[in-house]
Amino acid sequence: MNISNYPEIKPGIKYFKRIYIAVMLFVVGRAIQAAARVDKEVKQEFENFRDGFTFCLGVMPGGPYMLVGKDEKGRVKYLGWKKGPHKLTVDMKIKNTEAAFLVFTFQESTATAYAHDRFVVDGDLIDGLAIVRILGLVEVYLLPKIIAKLAVKRYPKWSEMSPLRKYFNRTLIYTRTLLGF
Amino acid sequence: MLLPSYYEFCVRVKTISGHRALEKIPGALEKLGATCPMIITDKGVAGAGLVKLVSSAMKSKGTNVKTGAVYDDVPADSDLKVIKIVTDLYRKKKCDSIIAVGGGSVMDTAKGVNILASMGGDDIMDYAGSNAVKEKLKPLIAIPTTSGTGSEVTLVAVIADHENNVKIPFTSYFLLPDVAVLDSRMTRTLPPVITAFTGMDAMTHACEAYNCLGKNPLSDTTALSAIRLISRNLLRVVKKPGDLDGRLALANGAILAGMAFSNSMVGLVHNLGHATGGVCGVPHGICMSILLPYGLEYNLHRTANLTGELLFALAGEEVYAATPKKERAEAAIAYIRQMNQDLHDATGGGHARFFNEVKNRDGDLMVPKDKLPDIARTAMGDGAKIYNPEEISYRDGLMVMEHAWEGIPLNLKKVSKGRRGQKF
Repeated sequence: MNISNYPEIKPGIKYFKRIYIAVMLFVVGRAIQAAARVDKEVKQEFENFRDGFTFCLGVMPGGPYMLVGKDEKGRVKYLGWKKGPHKLTVDMKIKNTEAAFLVFTFQESTATAYAHDRFVVDGDLIDGLAIVRILGLVEVYLLPKIIAKLAVKRYPKWSEMSPLRKYFNRTLIYTRTLLGF
Repeated sequence: MLLPSYYEFCVRVKTISGHRALEKIPGALEKLGATCPMIITDKGVAGAGLVKLVSSAMKSKGTNVKTGAVYDDVPADSDLKVIKIVTDLYRKKKCDSIIAVGGGSVMDTAKGVNILASMGGDDIMDYAGSNAVKEKLKPLIAIPTTSGTGSEVTLVAVIADHENNVKIPFTSYFLLPDVAVLDSRMTRTLPPVITAFTGMDAMTHACEAYNCLGKNPLSDTTALSAIRLISRNLLRVVKKPGDLDGRLALANGAILAGMAFSNSMVGLVHNLGHATGGVCGVPHGICMSILLPYGLEYNLHRTANLTGELLFALAGEEVYAATPKKERAEAAIAYIRQMNQDLHDATGGGHARFFNEVKNRDGDLMVPKDKLPDIARTAMGDGAKIYNPEEISYRDGLMVMEHAWEGIPLNLKKVSKGRRGQKF
């Protein structure tokens, strides 16, 4: 048997799925930055983190990633999509592109994805749970109810989030996400 | 049986069960290439003569196995500092394996020592978190002395950092013991009150494993077997502590429940139970037995079918067949409440049914009502809430704790409901 007669088969790059996930992570990252300025619950969650707190959400083994952090002045900022220069407090990784696609197309909710062992989380558990709560709130703001209900375990009732708060904040978050401030 | 779209299940622990199972230990160690084990235990277990039982069972002709060292001062909820002390002793005595004899704290300490002794270094915190341990550790044999923890088959060790008042989880498949030995002699002298709440701890593991988001056919099978063994034997053994067949059945129920929850995780009962234990120091098993019916009630709108299926294992085929399908979930919850009541009566009031019955040795309430908000707040930082079928907010946690404190069934109208019916 001559091994050189057999071509090397490389795995597919899954361009469409990786681009879709990268776009979603970019939007979610900017939306978290916006929500931290607009929504009192998200603001409160970030106030419980110490200054310099940085978390990353991404896909193993090589990305795409989304980084959000709190600077020395306590401001929440989207830090881009490169891991390298930042010291991470919490690093949440989805194990592969297929699993990430299931999560970002809402075929699996965040909780179901955890139950299906799609995530690896390095860092403090309490901080990790706070990030899951923040992601839930951001999903409620970004997505129409029919889709957000697939992503979160329980869609907030009127007593938890009034329509006025939801629609007003949604407008502000979308504006800030698009403009990046 | 529900088949989820994806699941993972792993139990790599060899289980040896029997009335004379301890005598198999030397052979098991030799097969693992070990001859100098260290025994890790606590003062209570040593005082009950159980370590002597293990040591004498290990003396058999022709074996090269000799106990290298014994450490018998593991504290109630493990401790980071103790890990270092025990590891130093392990290295000094040139041990090559560990035998853990005790309950959950001893098992967690043994797993922690195994990490440090196998991976090297002096700081266990280097290996904290999920999957930080990435290679096979030294041989570990687990011999449970309570029939509740299931730690002999779990991949988690939770070790307390008393200086910072936090509990540090260590999770890895490599933490699983190599062998679990279930011998009825190890729980024969367990007092009825402890038998009751450790048995209900195992029942909780099984019931939550059957209802939570990580459930799968393999964990379901072990959970139902565990529930059947515990419901048939727990009250019997509390009333007649010398019943060795019953003791062995409970030990098997506990290990099956451990296999179930280790692979499908747990939910609200453990979420609030961990917080209650952390804030008020209530033993884990007591929290579980009190909160179990409330956890099932809280998730009823999402998992009524699954809770109804528990009735078959709990009460038997005749009761199950005679109960209309719509009523089975409530009947299962009522059965568990009745179990708590029967255990309360059998222990002369020692087994608590609600939190306002839980008292310390001085007769003081261990869970004062003004601590309930702290418990609900602490529960927000516990990972078990992710796997619960329904969302748990601070208000939800407080509402459940108030009901569990008073001892009144949960008012289902107060439960904030998300999606109806289960989606796993």
